[in-house]
Amino acid sequence: MNGLHGIIFSYEKHNDLWELGAVRSPSSMPFGGRYRAIDFALSNLVNAGARDVGVVLHGQYQSLLDHLGTGKSWDLSRKYGGLKILPPFAYHQAWGEAAFRGKMEALAGVRSYLSGIRQDYVALMDGDLVVNLPLADILDSHIKSGADITAVCGDDSFRVEDGTYFQLSPEGRVTDVLYHLNTPRGNRSLEVYLLSRELLLSLVDECVSHDLYSWRSDVLQAKKETLNIQGWIWKGFAAQIRSVREYYDRSMQLLNPDIRRELFCAQRPIRAKSADKSSAYIAPDGRCVNSLVADGCGIFGTVENSILFPGVKVEHGAIVRNCVLFKDTLVREGAELAYTIADKRVEILPLRTLVGHASYPLVIAKGSRV
Amino acid sequence: MKKECVAMLLAGGQGSRLYVLTGDMAKPAVPFGGKYRIIDFPLSNCSNSGIDTVGVLTQYRPLELNSYIGSGQPWDLDVSSGGVHILPPYMDSQGGTWYKGTANAIYQNIGFVDFYDPEYVVILSGDHIYKMDYSRMVERHRESGAACTISVMEVPWADAPRFGIMNVDGEDRITEFAEKPKQPKSNLASMGIYVFTWKTLRRYLVEDEADPASSNDFGKNVIPRMLAAGEYMGAYRFEGYWKDVGTLESLWDANMDMLSPESGLDLLDESWPVYARTFSAPAAFLGKNAAITHSAFNRGSDLEGKVENSVLSQGVNVAPDAVVSYSVLMPGVQVESGAVVQYAILGEGCRVGEGCRVGAAPEETAPENWGLTVLAPGCALEAERTVPPNTMLDRTGREVEKK
Repeated sequence: MNGLHGIIFSYEKHNDLWELGAVRSPSSMPFGGRYRAIDFALSNLVNAGARDVGVVLHGQYQSLLDHLGTGKSWDLSRKYGGLKILPPFAYHQAWGEAAFRGKMEALAGVRSYLSGIRQDYVALMDGDLVVNLPLADILDSHIKSGADITAVCGDDSFRVEDGTYFQLSPEGRVTDVLYHLNTPRGNRSLEVYLLSRELLLSLVDECVSHDLYSWRSDVLQAKKETLNIQGWIWKGFAAQIRSVREYYDRSMQLLNPDIRRELFCAQRPIRAKSADKSSAYIAPDGRCVNSLVADGCGIFGTVENSILFPGVKVEHGAIVRNCVLFKDTLVREGAELAYTIADKRVEILPLRTLVGHASYPLVIAKGSRV
Repeated sequence: MKKECVAMLLAGGQGSRLYVLTGDMAKPAVPFGGKYRIIDFPLSNCSNSGIDTVGVLTQYRPLELNSYIGSGQPWDLDVSSGGVHILPPYMDSQGGTWYKGTANAIYQNIGFVDFYDPEYVVILSGDHIYKMDYSRMVERHRESGAACTISVMEVPWADAPRFGIMNVDGEDRITEFAEKPKQPKSNLASMGIYVFTWKTLRRYLVEDEADPASSNDFGKNVIPRMLAAGEYMGAYRFEGYWKDVGTLESLWDANMDMLSPESGLDLLDESWPVYARTFSAPAAFLGKNAAITHSAFNRGSDLEGKVENSVLSQGVNVAPDAVVSYSVLMPGVQVESGAVVQYAILGEGCRVGEGCRVGAAPEETAPENWGLTVLAPGCALEAERTVPPNTMLDRTGREVEKK
């Protein structure tokens, strides 16, 4: 079958999300007022016509399972195919002993799933990537270029935790693959790779028979001479949610209308699970400027330069500046918050003052009362 | 496939008193409260009351309603036995007719109800805004052994002549029914919500159909006939918010009520959620100079101007320097720079060009000239156009008379 099959990796490997990462995998990080990070990968795939998507899970996946459900929100609840959850039942270590050591090991664990893929091409993506890629165009270009693997990368060397960077030849071929760089250089990999199903299967088999497990070192780095790996450069917004700092900076960029227009472009809508919240409401003496406000919020105080997820309530006299407040955060009367990320159902008691800094936002753990 | 209770939702009416708002859609499909359509209220009530089998009787312009209801999934009504069913009039070997009245609509679907073989049938209208637990009403109906239970609420005595009024005895058994009485004997108004014991109703529907003089209407024919025959007709008192949104003014009022939980319409109350089919869009963005007060708004919106005392649906844009006050903006409305919209209802997808003036505040207008200004869905106003208060424009921007 022509077309694209999606595989999204969602496993623990990033430790810089502090309390935010303690209760969920990076793929289910709330982002942009009403999304989870994985909504972007799923929507990118669905918008490119993919109708079968596998999600490789490992560790802290309950939040992600809740979010994904049957895949209905992305039209992936299908009679045949659709969303398939690939749980960590098949990895080589004893239960709980270790995470997958790498993507190739994870894929080897779901070898029977891979062999049942109906489509000719597979896109490998990370669940923590926030982007709106024209994957259909990238697939076209992959097929036309005759590349073995197409690696989507940014046009920047932006530093991300555990990032991969490519050196590209003038023709766009990947000539070197770098990671663990003190000073990032080259093109930042978005960890989106397109290849044929046959090649993927043969790579998985080859790795497993040599006890190799890393996509990055055992495939990309080791085979950059023998495989034609083409870079495909994306010039737009692309965030990899791997640290609190990046989470905060990237969230705040959404207050820029040009970035929103690109990330939420009408031709390729980002779909999310819908919640039954009513309209958002601002009271007669409430004030809210330069902010993203999701459904069901109630603003009775002041909100500036912030991102409010559904059901956030800012009571009378409270002031919220430069904050990201997750679902159902409650800021009581007269409290003051700045440069703070509050996880779900946090309650800030009356008259409390919490101030972080743009370079070091405060993080308040899920369900805390301050 | 026996069900204890089946709901039949009358959604076929044109809603002619909503004029241009129902030009292309049935009244129950009209957007309400920023996030909903009117039909979300009875459908959500059914779902929350544990009624999983609902027939929706459609007739007038059903396209919008059909596509909105779809599989019934947003209301959790996509179940394998029962669920929500659209029931338009149909032909059989003897021919077929349009639904002649509310009772005839149910009569024509006796087969549908019989299929589920229920003890009770709940009859609902698709033009009321309220939250109600039908299961408690059914419970009371069962306990009282009534043939029919009608939900009623106390209205101010002065308003009583506008309603169907129930006179009851000490046990809330209905003794008399008076449609819009000049001299009301009670202030208990029918809310148009009925529970019937199905086998009794079935008999009366057949009788009513056989009567050529009948206009086949529940309020006018079936209920008086049952009362006259001495059937036990109970009244079920409802307390809480309830509003018939059959007119432009009441639709506007109910939207405004939503802004003030004191009105009794608290949509934030999560113990009785109202469900809706939603569309994908990012969170609303409020710009650097946005001045939004006492207003509701929704996802996909970009609000840069001044908005006060208004209800804004999904995907609404209000440009910088535009002003919206005391208005209801349905999904996708665009208000361009410098435009002023006051005391207006703007239908889905309207565009108000730069510098337009739409409607006016009552204090700025002679009382005899004042009224809500209403734009039909899809109406696009070129820049600098003035639409006076108490004016209605159709999709092409031409003025339409209120009859």
